[in-house]
Amino acid sequence: MKRPQVMIGTVIFAVALVIPLFLHNDYFLQVIFRLFLFATLGLAWNLVGGYAGQLSLGHAAYFGVGAYGLALLSKGMSPWLAIVGGVVLSMICALIIGSVSFRLRGPYFCLATIAFTEVLRLIAKNLPNVTGGDVGTPVPLLFPHNSMRSFYYACVVLTILSFAITYWVERSRFGYYLMAIREDEDTALSVGVNTARVKLWALLLSAALSALAGALYASLFLFIVPDQMFGVEVSVEIAILPMLGGAGTLLGPLVGSIVLETASEVFKNIFKEAHLLIYGILVVLVVLFLPEGIVGTLNRKLRWFKAAPRTPFASAPPPGPAEESKRIPLPLAE
Amino acid sequence: MSWFYPFLQAVLDGILTGSLYALIAMGMALIFGVMRIVNFAHGAFLMLGMYATWVIFEYGHVNPYFGFLAAGALLFAIGAAVYAGLVRHIPVQAEFMIILLTLGVSLICVDTVLLVFGADYHQLNFPLLGKNFRLGSQISLNAPWLISFGIALLAAAGLYLFVMRTMFGRAARAIAQNPYSAPLMGINIHRVQAVTFGLGAAAAGIAGGLLLPVFYLYPDVGHLFNLKSFLMVVMGGMGSIEGAAAAGLVLGVVESLTSLYWGNEWALVVDFVIFILVLSFRPSGIFGSQRA
Repeated sequence: MKRPQVMIGTVIFAVALVIPLFLHNDYFLQVIFRLFLFATLGLAWNLVGGYAGQLSLGHAAYFGVGAYGLALLSKGMSPWLAIVGGVVLSMICALIIGSVSFRLRGPYFCLATIAFTEVLRLIAKNLPNVTGGDVGTPVPLLFPHNSMRSFYYACVVLTILSFAITYWVERSRFGYYLMAIREDEDTALSVGVNTARVKLWALLLSAALSALAGALYASLFLFIVPDQMFGVEVSVEIAILPMLGGAGTLLGPLVGSIVLETASEVFKNIFKEAHLLIYGILVVLVVLFLPEGIVGTLNRKLRWFKAAPRTPFASAPPPGPAEESKRIPLPLAE
Repeated sequence: MSWFYPFLQAVLDGILTGSLYALIAMGMALIFGVMRIVNFAHGAFLMLGMYATWVIFEYGHVNPYFGFLAAGALLFAIGAAVYAGLVRHIPVQAEFMIILLTLGVSLICVDTVLLVFGADYHQLNFPLLGKNFRLGSQISLNAPWLISFGIALLAAAGLYLFVMRTMFGRAARAIAQNPYSAPLMGINIHRVQAVTFGLGAAAAGIAGGLLLPVFYLYPDVGHLFNLKSFLMVVMGGMGSIEGAAAAGLVLGVVESLTSLYWGNEWALVVDFVIFILVLSFRPSGIFGSQRA
């Protein structure tokens, strides 16, 4: 049913795996590494934000905890075990963050995820004895030999893994639960979906993948500081990629990452440190003209599916009495 | 009694800071209350207000305590334009799209300023800044903070009266109560919302102008205030502007006391912990009556 998206994805991955055979320039490899890293983060975000419709602006939390987990735990154990530790820590964070913020809806949920991430960032900043504080902390190098190329392959494999997991989720009962929650949480609840548990599972999965990406990113750069890992810009970037590509679609985060990372790389040289300007302009354009994202809009236009599941956040129907109660979000789930 | 004077000093300083927080939060609460829009560009509006006042001071040599008026007017125009050009075209139900949109506007504002003025920090320098106003032998209040406090109080009172006492304010509150029947009562919903958005932005701009003499200036300065104003609006309760103002004062005092007893770096942590606690236990807010 998602054939075209799977095929395009497979082609992209095949090209990605072949690229290093021809390309020996470490700089370009690093650019593409970043592209796939954010594609992974976007895919992870998409599980919660796209399929379940829970729009998190705090995914930097899991990314950062994965990175700091590797950096701090590897002082006492092998780096590979430390990665596992980081993933576990990140899932524990997801458990705490999720159990509080999933009770909230709409903008309140969004603000809660930001608040938690900010707390983590400030803790990382304010405990110099543990985390190195503002100065930062060193991270062990995972691949001492042929380093850039190994990192590149590890990242592409991680993206493939995330893509496969998304593919599985999309066709599983679990995935349908998530989409039911996105479309109407109260109805989902009333037909017997344990919405709290399902959302939490999606977040745990998402956090684990984000933590792996965080560890990979940190290890490549060998040194991390709190603002770089936990900054709001990171959360925003993670959320914008899939929205641009098409939230709640399999291919969306990948396409979003390709478009956005390429654009930001091209404009970096023109705008110097103001390269986020292009993000801002792209976001505004997407919201105004492609509210379903690139893949979402193409899906609808080309009718790749006979009965396409509605992609989220599309322009809502005109306000009527039935919609009225929806406009003012209930702060607490009942 | 040795603990008393530092405590009192911190509380008074907190109230001075809190008055500016209150003005910022009232602007955001107005927008949130009437349109249910979480305005992520609010901090950027504040930053634009600061830069506008700074430019007028640097190149026109106008005292910031007059320059803030120009900043308010400019931000009113920008706010109304953002509403008419962008926000208006997004369906209200797509709340995350509006969050993304305002985030995009914020990125555009911050990075345009970065391109034009560079990333350097700036600080105003004029004779008033070092002056202190002494109360007794133990307490001293910084003069520019006091002036900013006075003006912020006036601006906040003006905004409150405008919303509560004028026909326009009544129209805005009608939209807040019920956006579907308000137009049926002859309210031009888009015009009122454009003015509301402009007023919210202007409040941020004025607060920026007042903040300039006592703070430092860099393109991303609004970010900090953005997150704080979310906290104040949620604490104040569902877009109640008087609640947001009360939350601003409380937040100022809490931050000031945290800095005194635990150190400056923990003030923000306490902010966000309060935020999380309020969101988990009283998401409808602590202050003010729950309106609409």
